[in-house]
Amino acid sequence: MSDARSRNADEAAVSPTFDDRTLKYVGVAVSGAFTLVVGAFLGLILWRQVDPSLFVEIFNPQFVDAFLVVVRIVVISSVLSVVGGFAVGLGRISETTMTRGIAKGYIEFFRGTPLLFQLIVIYSGIPAFWAAGEFPIANFSVPAAIIGLTLNHAAYIGEAIRGGVEAVPDGQMEAARSLGMSYAQSMQEVVLPQAWRNALAAIGNDQVILVKDTSLLSVLAVPEIISTVQNINSATFDIWTPILWAAILYLAITIPLGKFVRYLEARADPAGESA
Amino acid sequence: MSMSDGPNIDRRAYLTAVGVGGVAALAGCTGSGDETSGSGSDTGEAGTEAAAESGTTLPDSVDIGSDIPYRPFEFKTTDGELKGFDVSIAQAVFEDQLGITPAFTDTSFDTIISSLNNGNFRVVMSAMTINETRDQQVDFSDPYFTAYQTMLVLKGSDITGRADLEGRTVGVQKGTTGADAAEQLKSEFGGDLTIKRYDQIPAAFDALINNQVVAVINDNTVNGEFADQNDAVRFVEGEGAAADAGKNAPPYLTLTIEEYGIAFREDDDEFRQRVNEALAAIREDGTYDEIYGQYFSG
Repeated sequence: MSDARSRNADEAAVSPTFDDRTLKYVGVAVSGAFTLVVGAFLGLILWRQVDPSLFVEIFNPQFVDAFLVVVRIVVISSVLSVVGGFAVGLGRISETTMTRGIAKGYIEFFRGTPLLFQLIVIYSGIPAFWAAGEFPIANFSVPAAIIGLTLNHAAYIGEAIRGGVEAVPDGQMEAARSLGMSYAQSMQEVVLPQAWRNALAAIGNDQVILVKDTSLLSVLAVPEIISTVQNINSATFDIWTPILWAAILYLAITIPLGKFVRYLEARADPAGESA
Repeated sequence: MSMSDGPNIDRRAYLTAVGVGGVAALAGCTGSGDETSGSGSDTGEAGTEAAAESGTTLPDSVDIGSDIPYRPFEFKTTDGELKGFDVSIAQAVFEDQLGITPAFTDTSFDTIISSLNNGNFRVVMSAMTINETRDQQVDFSDPYFTAYQTMLVLKGSDITGRADLEGRTVGVQKGTTGADAAEQLKSEFGGDLTIKRYDQIPAAFDALINNQVVAVINDNTVNGEFADQNDAVRFVEGEGAAADAGKNAPPYLTLTIEEYGIAFREDDDEFRQRVNEALAAIREDGTYDEIYGQYFSG
């Protein structure tokens, strides 16, 4: 009696409610119910809320134009922010106090203030140095958007690269130096290729956020995807039809981007198929 | 004596404290309610007597739905007092002319018409433009305010008329009738107009100053206020929609005309008639011009 009771007590302590099999079924049931609810919700939107003829009508040129604007801004800011981020990251791990301090200040500022604030400073603040009507760049909203996104994301990528470099064991640098390589050579040939691999996931993550950050550009009157949704909504009072396009178009950028980042990660992995 | 003084002082101190503390809504409601109830009861009786004579029964008070704040039509001052063009007109029309106590209810503009029809308030005064879609759901009083869509440009601008905008870039605020007017111009030009839509009107003015747009299309009152404060900008002058409609046209070019009206439920014709008479009376006796001058410069 006492034996059986103590065994029961043990089981209760280890697994109070579920054994493995029950846990599996609970998981299946919960995820199944979730899928059903989401599916029903999507179905409801498609059948009740989306106007098919408006859906087709607003695609071209409104959403095509907005999509192209966003892709153009994303590609340019993405390249510039990775290049700039490398500079920031290298400055951040520099052995020179001044360089390191400046890089640190840069990161603190651009990570510590909202992107929206930075965009407003660039778009409205910078031209205020000129007299009324004398600011030379006539169509400043897209350049301001690219500058803002680049400066902001270079800070995040700089941190990712610093983390990547710090994850490379000190022995790598020491070994390279002891082979007679200079600091710069050791960085370039030994440390950075490994750091790049370490930092790739974080950089990819940041680039996906950069795509989503373009939604803030509506305050600069950039005709991007969210402002297109708002325009169509205010003209037709229909929200779900334009919103559906916005979802599709954002995912059309972020999903392939995620795939591309995973491909780069696989290529950089020495154990991967391409090694 | 001292007994009646005591609570009075306390309440006043409380109001000040609340107002300063920033709970403006509470102070505003209590303040205006108290202020009008004293005189309201007297004139209210007079009003009902007059109404009985003319064969119409008027209520003692009227609930007015309004989306607050919307400067300068309805807004609360920092000490919680409800002010604005609509508020002053309501005071003149309902209180002074008809002897009814007006009480403003804050509500959201996008559902204001259904709220009116659901009986949440008797009328709507919320800088509401009279248009066909709205007219199908409610009845409007005679217009009590006229707004024009106007073009603001830099002082040294080469733009002298609407045709000069073809191929250029204009700034508007999202979702406004100014944006609609720009959209209309764009289709007149066969699509050859770029419209930059800003979240707030100050951003559009900044864009004008910063050379991002050549003109801002917006209400004459708001544009006028900015032009008064900023020497670098001017209205585009000339005749326009106002002159075409045979209105007493202002000196600046008008793209469209909008008239604001008080909205009533469709079964409220008698009350609407009385309000129209009162509106005519305050235009007649100069009260309207006095109120207008208080809120608008041009």
